[in-house]
Amino acid sequence: MAEIVLERLAHAYAPGAPYALKPLQLTWRNGGTYALLGPSGCGKSTMLNIISGLLRPSEGRVLFDGRDVTALDTGVRNIAQVFQVPVIYKSMTVGENLGFPLVCRGAPAAKIKARVEAVAERLGLAPILSKPANALTADLKQLVSLGRGLVREDVAAILLDEPLTVIDPQLKFDLRRILKEINEEFRLTMVLVTHDQTEALTFAEEIVVMNHGEVVQMGSPTELFERPETEHVGWFIGSPAMNFLPALLEKDRIIVPGTDLSVAAPAALPQGNLKIGFRPEHATLSPMAGDLEGKVTRIWFEGADEVLGIDWNAHRVKVRVSGTSPARIGEAVSIAVPTNRLCVFLDGRRLHLG
Amino acid sequence: MRTFYLSLKYLAVVLWSAFVIFPFLWMLSTSFKTANAVTAGAKWLPWVQFEPSLAGWQSLFGGVGGINIVKPYLNSGIVTLSGSAIALVLGTLAAYGLSRFTFKAGPLGNGDITFFFISQRIMPPIVLAIPFFLMLRFLGLLDTLPGLILIYVAMLMPIAVWVMVDFFNSVPRGLDEMAWMDGCAPVTTFVRVILPNAVPGLVVAAMFCVIFGWNDFFFAFTMTFTEVQLLPVSIVALNSSVTPWWSLSAAAIVSVAPLAVLAFVVERFLSRGGLAGAVR
Ligand SMILES: Nc1ncnc2c1ncn2[C@@H]1O[C@H](COP(=O)(O)OP(=O)(O)OP(=O)(O)O)[C@@H](O)[C@H]1O
Ligand SMILES: [Mg+2]
Repeated sequence: MAEIVLERLAHAYAPGAPYALKPLQLTWRNGGTYALLGPSGCGKSTMLNIISGLLRPSEGRVLFDGRDVTALDTGVRNIAQVFQVPVIYKSMTVGENLGFPLVCRGAPAAKIKARVEAVAERLGLAPILSKPANALTADLKQLVSLGRGLVREDVAAILLDEPLTVIDPQLKFDLRRILKEINEEFRLTMVLVTHDQTEALTFAEEIVVMNHGEVVQMGSPTELFERPETEHVGWFIGSPAMNFLPALLEKDRIIVPGTDLSVAAPAALPQGNLKIGFRPEHATLSPMAGDLEGKVTRIWFEGADEVLGIDWNAHRVKVRVSGTSPARIGEAVSIAVPTNRLCVFLDGRRLHLG
Repeated sequence: MRTFYLSLKYLAVVLWSAFVIFPFLWMLSTSFKTANAVTAGAKWLPWVQFEPSLAGWQSLFGGVGGINIVKPYLNSGIVTLSGSAIALVLGTLAAYGLSRFTFKAGPLGNGDITFFFISQRIMPPIVLAIPFFLMLRFLGLLDTLPGLILIYVAMLMPIAVWVMVDFFNSVPRGLDEMAWMDGCAPVTTFVRVILPNAVPGLVVAAMFCVIFGWNDFFFAFTMTFTEVQLLPVSIVALNSSVTPWWSLSAAAIVSVAPLAVLAFVVERFLSRGGLAGAVR
């Protein structure tokens, strides 16, 4: 169990190659649950492999509880990692798999036996301890991988690199619950890599959103939802994504021309491409003249909610309404958005307005 | 209808087996013949068509005009098994290195090193005969078992490297990384995690080594004079101006026997699922 600090960390796979991971500064609290969220190729695995020591960063340092481990080997760091494709020792039984990290560390046999039994009990693997690990299904293999981390009571962190990708949806749900419970029980630092936002939002206390090798924003699910730092986050988090409309500076206000959407402009506003964004959840259908008028072109049913696709000036604005809305396709509607729910983006980055 | 197809299948299998087994049966029957029976045409039922004789077999064990193959047989066994074992150990280690680590020698990389090993087997063995001869003479190992074992290691290791590099490449790297993360030292990783996964590869490599080693005539012939004789060389010594088909047949049977047993065992192992699950 450790606090992990990535200090001015950056990585390029070859000298002179573009950064796979751009310089960043991050702290992972001891016992926290984190999700690394981002599209494919954005550097998530690169970051995990640097933390676990499979990769030496080309710049910066990795600190565990203040101790510089950048040059230390994987084994010494005492990290557990679960990969996307289940990796298990095929020639061993489930029990031997679970005990292997302790065997490697030269623990006494009695201790190994006790730990393996405890972990197997916790993960529900007890009945199959003596089975060959090779015969297990993918989800059980992932549980065994996780168990290999848990047998070490002093494991610094458990890194999960898209461990649920190959798992059936129902079992996925169970595994996610188990992960969450394990975290609460053992207060282990856990980092889950995923490109599924639901997975990230339900698992983590804090989410690190990455794009093109860069950490775009780190924050709680609410923060990411309410105050996305970039257009990318607004677009990536939330379903459906945030609405973005082109905006202009007019006198002292930023407005979307042709609508009543407007925000007071800050004193010194640099030149650039302005957009106003708002969440589909924050807009409401307004019977009276609202901020924006458009025509309903699509309706998606989402359980208790409905999402309306409203066309306005060649843009499609989405609005989430609970229950069944009276709106019909082809009908003109008017929507309202509270001013404090509007976010302004300048060249893709959110402006911090008073 | 199903039985019809089944009988067709069986018929095909029986025909094929006959095709394969026939030469062996012919060899067996020839080994009990005498000169007259051999030249008298296609006769192969002993007692009915010809009077069986043990002359062919006796000539393998010190009979008149024959040799004694017991010593060469043992020699061949020792040289083949020790040569294969050493080649397999060295070759497997080299292959693991070539599969997992990056080597650079100027513009040359891992692939070139692997090819260098294989290239040893591409050139005709005669190219190597003189250097090998001089080296063994320098070491004083000409006409000795250790000398032959050295040569066989050199000849068999490329095979082991070749088979095993390919095999290790199919064992996912993630397995090594997992073991490192679990705190396993590199050597332990190799022995306890990777090797158990490589058993089918080892079996195949061992089989190739043993076959090539056992069948080698060229080096067995060029690196020995009088002290040490290997089986293929001693069999050639059986030959004379009148080809003794009977003793040659007997010799062929005894020299093919261990390989037949090996093939049987390996086939059993591989079909029993020795390969299953080894590769993802
Ligand atoms: N071994 C490597 N050598 C060179 N470049 C690499 C290597 N591994 C990854 N990269 C590059 O680094 C970038 C980040 O890759 P990384 O595997 O970290 O992405 P990721 O976020 O894990 O993606 P995914 O969701 O597909 O797993 C990519 O552009 C990739 O092409
Ligand atoms: Mg990845």
